Amino acid sequence: MRQLSAVGTYLPPWGTERARSLGRDEDAVTMSVAAGRAALGGPGAPVRRVVLVSRDLPLLEGGNGAALLAGLGLGGDVAVVEQIGGAPAALDAVATAERGTLVVAADEAPAGAAAVLVGEAGPAITAVSQVLRSMPVRARGRDGLVRDYADPRLERERGAGVAIDQLELPARPVAVAGLPARQAAALTEDRPPVLPTSGASSSLFALASLRGPGLVLAVEQGSATAVSVDGIPPTVRRDERGPQPEEARAVTPGPEIGISLAAYERAFEPKLRWEAACCTECGTLAFPPRYRCLGCGAEGRWTTASLPRTGEVYTAVTVHVPVPGLATPYSLAIVELDQVGVRALVPVTGAPAGTAAIGDRGRLVFRRMAVRTGIPDYGYALLPDSVAAGEETADDARGSSR
Amino acid sequence: MRRVAVAGAGMTAFGEHFGLGIKDLLPMALSEMAATVDKGLDRDDIQAAWFGELTTSDGFPSGILADSCGLLDIPVTRVENACATGNDAVRNATYAVGSGAVDVALVIGADKVRESSSRGTFWEWAALTRDMAWDYPLGLVAPANFALHVARYLHESPATREHLAMVAVKNHRHALSNPKAQLRFEITVEQALAAPMVVAPFGLYDCTPQSDGAAALLLVAEDVVDRYTDRPVWVRGVGLGLDRVMHQHKADMTTFPPTVKAARAAYAMAGLGPDDIDVAEVHDCFTGVELISYEDLGFAERFGAYKLIENGVTSVGGAKPVNPSGGLKAKGHPPGATGVAQCVELFEQLRGESHNQVDGARNALAHNIGGPTAVSAITVLSADRG
Repeated sequence: MRQLSAVGTYLPPWGTERARSLGRDEDAVTMSVAAGRAALGGPGAPVRRVVLVSRDLPLLEGGNGAALLAGLGLGGDVAVVEQIGGAPAALDAVATAERGTLVVAADEAPAGAAAVLVGEAGPAITAVSQVLRSMPVRARGRDGLVRDYADPRLERERGAGVAIDQLELPARPVAVAGLPARQAAALTEDRPPVLPTSGASSSLFALASLRGPGLVLAVEQGSATAVSVDGIPPTVRRDERGPQPEEARAVTPGPEIGISLAAYERAFEPKLRWEAACCTECGTLAFPPRYRCLGCGAEGRWTTASLPRTGEVYTAVTVHVPVPGLATPYSLAIVELDQVGVRALVPVTGAPAGTAAIGDRGRLVFRRMAVRTGIPDYGYALLPDSVAAGEETADDARGSSR
Repeated sequence: MRRVAVAGAGMTAFGEHFGLGIKDLLPMALSEMAATVDKGLDRDDIQAAWFGELTTSDGFPSGILADSCGLLDIPVTRVENACATGNDAVRNATYAVGSGAVDVALVIGADKVRESSSRGTFWEWAALTRDMAWDYPLGLVAPANFALHVARYLHESPATREHLAMVAVKNHRHALSNPKAQLRFEITVEQALAAPMVVAPFGLYDCTPQSDGAAALLLVAEDVVDRYTDRPVWVRGVGLGLDRVMHQHKADMTTFPPTVKAARAAYAMAGLGPDDIDVAEVHDCFTGVELISYEDLGFAERFGAYKLIENGVTSVGGAKPVNPSGGLKAKGHPPGATGVAQCVELFEQLRGESHNQVDGARNALAHNIGGPTAVSAITVLSADRG
C-alpha cells in the first residue's frame, strides 16, 4: 500500500491569481527544491528515491539530479529519476512509487511545483486506470520550439473526452488536473479545487487540495490517469505567497557569462547545500570553505557544517545600470546569518529591486544565480521577510487558503 | 636607504583615446615626462623601468613598454596590483633606487579601458577581482562592489547622498583648469542628485568615467639628482596595505583597512602625519570612497568626513585640499596610470606650477584603493628633502 505522508507546494511570487510567472532566477529545479523542502519539512526524512516529473527540465544532457539532491539536502546516494511528463505521468509516478520516494513535479508556465512524500502514514493511494493516446495539439521537439495546432474543440472532444470515456471511472472524480477549470467542473459532483498549474505539478496540487476521499483524475491531451485516495494527506505545507505583478526589467544583450567547471565543481557541494567549513581546531566557520582557517590558521583541518537559512541584511545595493547579459535592476545584499557570525553575499529574490534595506530580515532560498554558457549555476538568494509574510504552513489539507 | 627624488613627471590627457593604442600612449607619456626634466633627460640614463598596467590590450606588457619606448637594453618589470597598481609601481621603483641597485628609474603606468566592446568590458574587468564560482555570476559590477561599502557607511555615519554629490561637484570644479582631465565641466549638487542611478546609492555623477591614458615619473637617487634638476620633489614615504578579498569577510565595511595600513607605513617612513599633508590626491573612483578615505587617511575623525566636504575644507582654498586635479572622478581613471598621474599632479603642486595650485604646498599624499577593496598603495611626496 502506498500512502501520502506529506505534500509540499511552491508558487513563484510573481504573476496573477490565475497564473504565476517564473522568476528570472528560477527553473524547474529551483521550484522543485522549494516544493520538496516544503514536503520534507526538515532534515532527516527517510527518502531513498526522488522522481522529478516535468516537461521543463533545465538540462537534457549534463543532468539536474545532483543539484536537486543538494538543494533538497539529500545525500548523493539517493536515486534520482528525471522523467519527462505531464499531469498523468506525475500522478502515475505517485501511485506506483515505493515507500521512501519523493515525487516532485514542476512546470514553468503557469509556474509552480509540488512534491509528495510516499511513506508509511497517511491516506492510501491506488491506481484505478489509465489510457495513453496520441493527440499532439501541442508539440515540442529537440529544438525546444512549441508547435500549437490550435484546435481546442478537437482537443476537448477527441483528446480529453475520449480518454476519460475510456478510463471507465467507477465514480465522478473529486479533483481534476490538467484541464481548464470549467471543463474540470463539468466532470465533478461538487466544485473541484482550482489548481494553479496545468502540467505535471497540477496533479500533485490536486492531491494537496483534497477535502476528502475520492478519485483524482489527471489529463494531458489524449491521455488520462485516475487514482483513488482514501483520505486527505496528514501534512500539506505550502511555500506560496503573492502574487505580485512582475517587475519591469530590461535585458541588455551581452556575451555569455563564462564559467570555470573546475571552480564550479570545487564549490558545488557547499554552494548548493549551504554549508560552511568548520575548523576542527578552533571551530571557526568559513564560508565559502577555505584551506586555511580564518580564525587560527590551521590548514586543511575542517569538516562541513550546515549554515542557518535566516539572517539580517548588513548592507545592500541595487544595480540599475544595464549589465550585458543580465536583467536590471537587481539587488545584491550581504546578509549576516543568524547566530554564527558568518556573512554571505547573495542576490535578493522575490521582492522588487531596491526594497531590501539594511536591517531587514529574510531567509536564504535555493535559486539560480545565472546561466553560464548554458549551464545553470545554482546558489542561494535572500527572500526578505516582508514579502514572505504570506507564507503558509498548514498541517491539514484544509489549509489551502491560496 | 638613499633618498629618492622625482626629477620629472608627465602624462597624456586622460579620455576615450579610441585613436591611440597602448603602444602610442606609452611613448607619449614618456616624452611628456622627459620634457619636465629641468636639465634634460638622456634616455640612455634610465637603468630600469617599472610598468604599472592592470589589463593588457596588446599583449605582453613589459615587452610592449621596452619596444614602444626604445628601452630594449634595460630590465622592465610589470606591476599589477588592481587599482593600487600606479602607486605600487612608484613603491617598487623607490625601493630599487633607494637600495642603490639603480640610480635612475622610470615609473610608467597605463591602461586602455575603452579598448574592448562596452558589452564585454563589464565581465572582463569583473573577472579580475571576483571569485569565479561564488561572486562572479552575481553581477557584482565595479560600482556595486564599492556601493556595498558606501551604503553601509551612509547608514552608520551622518553623511548623506548630498555629501556624495558635494564630492562630485568639488572634483568637477577642480578639473576645469586641468588640460589633461577627461570631464571638464561643472555640475551642481541638484544635477548630481537627479542623475540616473547607476548602482544605488551611486548616481551617474558619483562614478568615475572609463578612461584611457598613461603617466610617467623619473625617479633618481639623491646622489645624482643635481644632474637633472635643482628643484626635485622627494619621495618621502611609500606604503602598501591589504585586506581580505571577499566582501563577506570584511568585518567593518565602513572603513578600508588596506588604506589604514598603507597610510601607517607611508607616514612612518616619511616621518610625517596626516596633519602635515598640505594637498592630497585620493582615490575617488566613486564619491563615497573619497569620504571614507578622509577618515582612513587621518584627515577626519571617524564618521566626520561629511564635515570636511560640507565646510569646503577639501576644496582648493580650504585647509586640506583633496583632488586638485579633478580626481579619478573628473580627470579620469585608466587604472594602471591613475596612481602615477596622481604623483604627476602632486609633483606640479610641490613645485608650485599646478593648473590649480594649492598655495604653499610642501607635503603631499597620493592614495589608491582597489581589488575590489582589498589593496591600497600610498605615496607621500614632499618639497623638503627630509
